[in-house]
Amino acid sequence: MSSENEFLLQRLISSEIKTDLLTLFHRNPGLVDTITGIALRIGRSDAEVAGDVKDFLDLGLLTKKTLGKTKMEVIQLNRSRDREIQASIERYVTGLKK
Amino acid sequence: MTTADNRVKTGIPEFDEMLSGGFLERDAVMVAGTAGSGKTTLGLQYLVNGATKYGDAGIYLTFEQMPEQLYRDAKSFGWDLRALEEQDHLRVVCTSPELILASGEGEGEGEGGENLLDSVIKEIHPRRIVIDSMSHFAMYVDNEKDLRRETYRLIMYLKTKGLSSLLLFEAPQLMGAVGSVTETGTSFLVDCILIMKPVEIESSMRKVLAILKLRGSDHDKNLREYKITSSGIVLGSPFSDYEGLMSGSPRKLTRMAMAAERFSQPFAGKRKKD
Repeated sequence: MSSENEFLLQRLISSEIKTDLLTLFHRNPGLVDTITGIALRIGRSDAEVAGDVKDFLDLGLLTKKTLGKTKMEVIQLNRSRDREIQASIERYVTGLKK
Repeated sequence: MTTADNRVKTGIPEFDEMLSGGFLERDAVMVAGTAGSGKTTLGLQYLVNGATKYGDAGIYLTFEQMPEQLYRDAKSFGWDLRALEEQDHLRVVCTSPELILASGEGEGEGEGGENLLDSVIKEIHPRRIVIDSMSHFAMYVDNEKDLRRETYRLIMYLKTKGLSSLLLFEAPQLMGAVGSVTETGTSFLVDCILIMKPVEIESSMRKVLAILKLRGSDHDKNLREYKITSSGIVLGSPFSDYEGLMSGSPRKLTRMAMAAERFSQPFAGKRKKD
């Protein structure tokens, strides 16, 4: 379990862009935007953020949905999955302190 | 929860009194005011009071400020928006008008994706929503005809979902004479129009609130002074001793003029009957 959580933590902060994305969504949990919009909000390009956003989507931390007839894709934080992940990380960090 | 006669209270007692008890349920209310007039504060207060006093969940949809800035600003009034979000009484949704417009296109036609607000509505079952701001929304629409159609679509979506809405609108022309409240002719689409306007009186800036229109209900026609205090917006008494406030050139009524007005009031009633 602790190795799983260690892997999870490493996956969450394996790049500078991921930490920027985590900060953005934790400070603004109600943000709903396109990849382009998200990239702009952290001062990056679409290409730079695409891979890390995909990894967070695979992890379930972010979710994607399509809007209206235009089928425009937007990304947002999955609040319940985020709470689960935060609890796992907290358990892992508490374990390290002991 | 709303009152028995379907009023949605703002939770500001003097303001609810002006509205004969509150807004009517599912009404779309346009709040027009200049920058710094307190539109955002009023919007937040409407949602916070809704959640804490009446058990109504709400959505703050912002196109302008990032949520973290709203959380900080709200804290200065003693409102903990994050705590309300954790209790599912509130959601601060930050997005672009472009995405709200994309949400609307094709919605309900069976072949489209969902509306951006659908999942939030399912999550917290809100009764109230504030949109900050319709002026920003308008920038993303090419012409007036399309703007009227898209505003109508948005308002009808909110009504269909049972939401009572405050649509914030920045109206720079309110600094001087009041002409059209909006430049785009969308004012007839809403059920109620509130004006929040700064006025210069004896070399100091004071703030005036007026209800320009409230469809289907009586309301107070007086211009009321309001202040933005550390606990939010507080309404004062009507500006009874000034005239010309909405034109941007207020004049203090002389004692003689006030006496003449008081003297003429009973006769004005009599003239109507005649």
